[in-house]
Amino acid sequence: MGEERARSAAELTLESMRREIAALLHDDPEEIGTDDSLIDLGLDSMRAMALVRRWQEIGVRAEFSAFAATPTLAHWWDVVQRSRG
Amino acid sequence: MQDVGRPLTGAQEGLWFAQRLDPANPIFLTGQAIVIDGLLDRARFVAALDGAMQEADGLALRFADGPDGPRQWLDEAARPRPELVDLRHLPDPEAAWRAAVDADMATPVDLEAGGLVAQRLFVLSRERHVWYQRIHHLLVDGYGTDLLTRRVGQLYAGGGEPFGPFSAVLAEAAAYRGSEREAADHRFWLEMFGDRPDVAPMAQGPAVSGHRFHRVARPLDPVLAARLLARAEAAGVTWPDVLAALVAAYVQRHAGGPEAILGVPHMGRFGSAAANVPAMVMNVLPVRFAIDEEQGLDAFLAGAARALRQARRHGRYRSEQLRRDLGLLGGSRRLHGPLVNVLPFEAPLVLDGLETELIVLGTGPVDDLTFTFRGDPAGAGLRLELDSNPGLFDLAATEVQADRLACFLQNALAAERLADVPTLTPAEARHWLVEVNQTAHPVEDTTLTALIERQLAADPRAPAVRFGELVLDRGALDRQSGRLAGRLAAMGVGPGSVVAVALPRSLELIVALTAILRAGGAYLPLDLAQPKERLRRMLATAAPSLVLTFSDQHDRLPDGWPLLDLDRAEDGGEGATVRPPAPGDAAYVIFTSGSTGEPKGVVNEHAGIVNRLCWMQAHYRISPGDRILQKTPVTFDVSVWELFLPLISGAELVIAPPEAHKDPAWLVRIIKEQGVTTLHFVPSMLAAFLEEPACRGLRLRQVFCSGEELPAALRDRFHARMGAELHNLYGPTEAAVDVSYWPAGPEDRSSPVPIGFPVWNTALYVLDERMRPVPPGVAGHLHLGGRQIARGYLGRPDLTAERFGPDPFRPGERLYRTGDLARWRPDGACEFLGRSDHQVKIRGLRIELGEIEAALQACPEVGQAVVLARAGNDGEPVLAAYVTPAAGTVPEPATLRAELGRHLPDYMLPASFMVLASLPTNANGKLDRAALPAPELAPAAGRAAEGFAEERLARLFAEVLGREVGAEDDFFLAGGHSLLAVRLARRIRAEWGLEVGLGLVFEHPTIARLARQLELMAAAPDARSGNGLGPCIRLGADRGGELPPLFCIHPAGGIAWCYGGLARALGGSRPVFGLQADGLDPVAPLPASLDEMAETYLARIRPIRPDGPIHLLGWSVGGIVAQAIAARLGAEAGLLAMLDSYPCERWREEPPPAADAALKALLYIAGQDPERMAGLELTRDAVVGFLRDSGHALGGLDDRALDGVLRVVAANDRLVRGHWHRPFAGRLDHFRATEGNETRGLDPLAWRSHVGQLVVHDVRSVHGHMLTEPALGRIVPVLEARMAEVERVCLALPA
Repeated sequence: MGEERARSAAELTLESMRREIAALLHDDPEEIGTDDSLIDLGLDSMRAMALVRRWQEIGVRAEFSAFAATPTLAHWWDVVQRSRG
Repeated sequence: MQDVGRPLTGAQEGLWFAQRLDPANPIFLTGQAIVIDGLLDRARFVAALDGAMQEADGLALRFADGPDGPRQWLDEAARPRPELVDLRHLPDPEAAWRAAVDADMATPVDLEAGGLVAQRLFVLSRERHVWYQRIHHLLVDGYGTDLLTRRVGQLYAGGGEPFGPFSAVLAEAAAYRGSEREAADHRFWLEMFGDRPDVAPMAQGPAVSGHRFHRVARPLDPVLAARLLARAEAAGVTWPDVLAALVAAYVQRHAGGPEAILGVPHMGRFGSAAANVPAMVMNVLPVRFAIDEEQGLDAFLAGAARALRQARRHGRYRSEQLRRDLGLLGGSRRLHGPLVNVLPFEAPLVLDGLETELIVLGTGPVDDLTFTFRGDPAGAGLRLELDSNPGLFDLAATEVQADRLACFLQNALAAERLADVPTLTPAEARHWLVEVNQTAHPVEDTTLTALIERQLAADPRAPAVRFGELVLDRGALDRQSGRLAGRLAAMGVGPGSVVAVALPRSLELIVALTAILRAGGAYLPLDLAQPKERLRRMLATAAPSLVLTFSDQHDRLPDGWPLLDLDRAEDGGEGATVRPPAPGDAAYVIFTSGSTGEPKGVVNEHAGIVNRLCWMQAHYRISPGDRILQKTPVTFDVSVWELFLPLISGAELVIAPPEAHKDPAWLVRIIKEQGVTTLHFVPSMLAAFLEEPACRGLRLRQVFCSGEELPAALRDRFHARMGAELHNLYGPTEAAVDVSYWPAGPEDRSSPVPIGFPVWNTALYVLDERMRPVPPGVAGHLHLGGRQIARGYLGRPDLTAERFGPDPFRPGERLYRTGDLARWRPDGACEFLGRSDHQVKIRGLRIELGEIEAALQACPEVGQAVVLARAGNDGEPVLAAYVTPAAGTVPEPATLRAELGRHLPDYMLPASFMVLASLPTNANGKLDRAALPAPELAPAAGRAAEGFAEERLARLFAEVLGREVGAEDDFFLAGGHSLLAVRLARRIRAEWGLEVGLGLVFEHPTIARLARQLELMAAAPDARSGNGLGPCIRLGADRGGELPPLFCIHPAGGIAWCYGGLARALGGSRPVFGLQADGLDPVAPLPASLDEMAETYLARIRPIRPDGPIHLLGWSVGGIVAQAIAARLGAEAGLLAMLDSYPCERWREEPPPAADAALKALLYIAGQDPERMAGLELTRDAVVGFLRDSGHALGGLDDRALDGVLRVVAANDRLVRGHWHRPFAGRLDHFRATEGNETRGLDPLAWRSHVGQLVVHDVRSVHGHMLTEPALGRIVPVLEARMAEVERVCLALPA
């Protein structure tokens, strides 16, 4: 899964984020619906923090709090896109 | 938010109530300081700070208590303003800001008065500033603080997202209340904790936060951080969860048990509107970590992470609520152990071009230990902060824990299994394995035989042995033993042989033992009082060459062994060559009882006993001037040093006549007449000896104790009675007598008395199940190494292999597993904690019976005490206590139980107490546990339970009491106490689903009455009477007594349960009612005056007893009210009794009550003297915690009821001061407490101006104990007689 992960913020896509979350949850990417609650899919705050931390390290300029309020892939993609603007 | 305000969220409520319970406690303040170095744009920073405050509605709140609980408002006036504090003019600005901040953090704030937030920028110099932020925990949590810090940084830089509105947090909390999700969370937690696991503590004591905490910070090694990341990656677990799991494993190493239950702070922001709101949202989740040391570490970590994820998924459910759901109130029952808080991505404040350093000042209460990890292992590094409750850990202990944990983490992260991870740091392991055992000392490589022969040859005319009038000098002993040795050699005795000795204490015994040793043999002492079958088995095992005895003893010996009678002159053996023994040859064989009942013969060698005797001779400076008493039966290994220490040192051996060792008066005579300087006692015998009046003032050089635990109280009694050194020695038969020593001098305050330090060439090891050394303070298995270890068990290589093995810490040496439990004190003294089979598990908790015994022995009325775990009615072990009375006292089980309840957690309280005249002992004078009687449980009497409700209750009663009781038996007379009542109420609550308070059990203590009441409550579930706090309660069992009732008026606290014992003592001949204060219900109005109160109470009495005589009684304030009621009744009044009450004018003179007066009163009501409780903080938390821990009924009240009690106490003080007595023309029976009132100037004669006739009865009691035995024994007959007298007159009953 390592090679599927984006190496810079510019490389992040909705699908690469979906793959990354799926890998974390030991799930198939198609199981992660864009509007599904990631909490319901089994994501907990500690793993979410680790994920956000990784994205911050590759250049995403957004705080964890921006992601945390609405834990869905759709919202997170939105946060990532906004942080680019 | 509107003017009426909004209710607090669950998260806020917890802190609100905690602070309100202890308003003076500053621990609820969170605070941090950020040191900013560089050229700060001060105006820009203050503007950024102000901007953040403008956004943070959650910090601009006002709070007020109201009839429906606390409320909160948004209030612009409360919005915090940044303050600029210029310290540049001061000589030491650095010290000044620290002092200002420390003082501020130590100042509690009033939640309703405001000032909950401080934002200060200290200016130290042009290039150095400190931003200090202090916020009450009610407003913010750690995550919120981090949000604030980041936001200020953003605003300083210009930009970022503003905070979300605080109202969203409130809306979310409101939506959760009563939601399906809450119900699901509730179900999850109840299932998770449905088995009510007991939390084993790392340190004994109540886990209730004090006013301050210790903080130890340690940067963690970069190697550790790298390992952490690698391990997290390998296990597929986040690194914070790896840390939490390993901390759990670490805690379990100290607390024991199969699991660790930790508190895990949960930020509660993920998927929440609070994600971008500074507020208090955090919850502490109790997480159960199963610890399997054999499991692969990655699997363990994955399992732990799963438990954490599950808990987080249900993390919104408040743990305070779960505690209530589970009935875990007060500090003695915990929901979880230490806290582990990992703050993974706490970012430092980023200010362009400036350096910042964060100093965390406070994060809220510290109940136990809090392990906090800050930082980022992949970035700037990781830091451990360990906060501890100073009531449980001192600073040094906290530092040790921090270092030990850091090392444990380092090792665990690289390990395959937890089993491979040491508990201690290498330095600690070296200390507790090697340094405490640096006992190497040169000892001659010789035999006991050689040492004896050398001394016998030294001065043939000197007396060697005294036995009554008879004296054997060294020459005679040398000749006689030499001759006998020759005879033995001629009969084939030599090194490797065993010779049995069946002789009473006598000169012949000494000659025989000396001769056997000189002939090279090992002696085997036999006690002919033992059953022949047992002797036969012992002889069969030892296969002695012959048995030395007297001719009149033959019929007590088993057949088939060659006998040699020492009372028959027989010659022979001259010329036979005596072969001396070598140091490795056996010197003696002593049998001990095995756990299987089969006696085991322990073989000790010359080298071992030589080491032991030479150590003792040198250590205690034994010289020819000493006279050592030999009184221990020779079948007990203590006799070995009594016999041979004098023979090798030139001291005189004084032999006590047979049987004298059991007779204290006889022993005193021997000691005095023979000038004994040194002797030994088994502690239980020493206790009996000290009871002997003749021992008073006895002076000798030294007394040694061993064979049993030496209770601290016995040590103190010893020094109060006798003038001698006291030494506590320890050693099993499987080592040459003793392996450790402790000087238990008069200045020794140790409790328990340690077994101390290893003797020469000896090692003590305290190890866990996996042979790892354990930390000081943690119980482990005591192992012995060194020169004195016995060879093994005769003829039992299997048993020998089980207990003896190679010493893993000293190659080539041997180790003996004692089966005893011990722990190290930090100073290196070893404490004995009992046999490992003396350790029992009750409800999964490790219990050292020795600890309970020590607590019993500390009771003044207890002489000796022993506690056993015995199978209870349901097969589960229950604790049974056996005590003997101290001289001139009569221990009362109820008193002992109450006393123990003050020192021990409830699970350690024995279920039964038996008072015995003496404890049974075996032939060696040691306690014979098997001979203790079965616990005494009175048989059930009266009618059996009938019907569904009664039968269900009967089952619960039986479970709680451990015995069957009849339907009309009083719970409290059947062995119930308030802790059991708490348990019973909890069980009833669970089974009936009704809000049953503890008071219900006090009010209705029989199955029949409780069943009736539960049926009533089920029909009308809101009936207030269910909590025993109703205005008029029935006390004691009702057996249909027809005599006029007695009405008892509550004392200052407003609760009348205290009269329960009085009701029982009256024996059910008449109903007894307790009148209780209206104000116990916090929303009920308080009476305006004491007269109004009397009027109200009379109105409650009338429906029960419409006509006279109306009997009234009151304790303390209750007596004043009783007089006021009697004054209204006039001739209708019957008995008017006061228990140590004094008129109001006396109280008006007193200064107004101090702030803590209500708490003091609460303690008084609980029968405690607050003036004598110097150690107890007079805060609501501490007092309530104390009451709960001590098992007092008041401690079982819920918070609402406690508020009621405190309110009533305060109101009663006011009412009493404002009351003017009306005269009552009748008679007052006043029971005066004679003890403790002298200095208070209280005189019952002051009542003379308010009553027609005054009769004063003196009761030898303190005020607080007027309603307990023995005071009741004095009071009740007087009451009965007086009531009967009144009734004869009023009702014209026949006399």
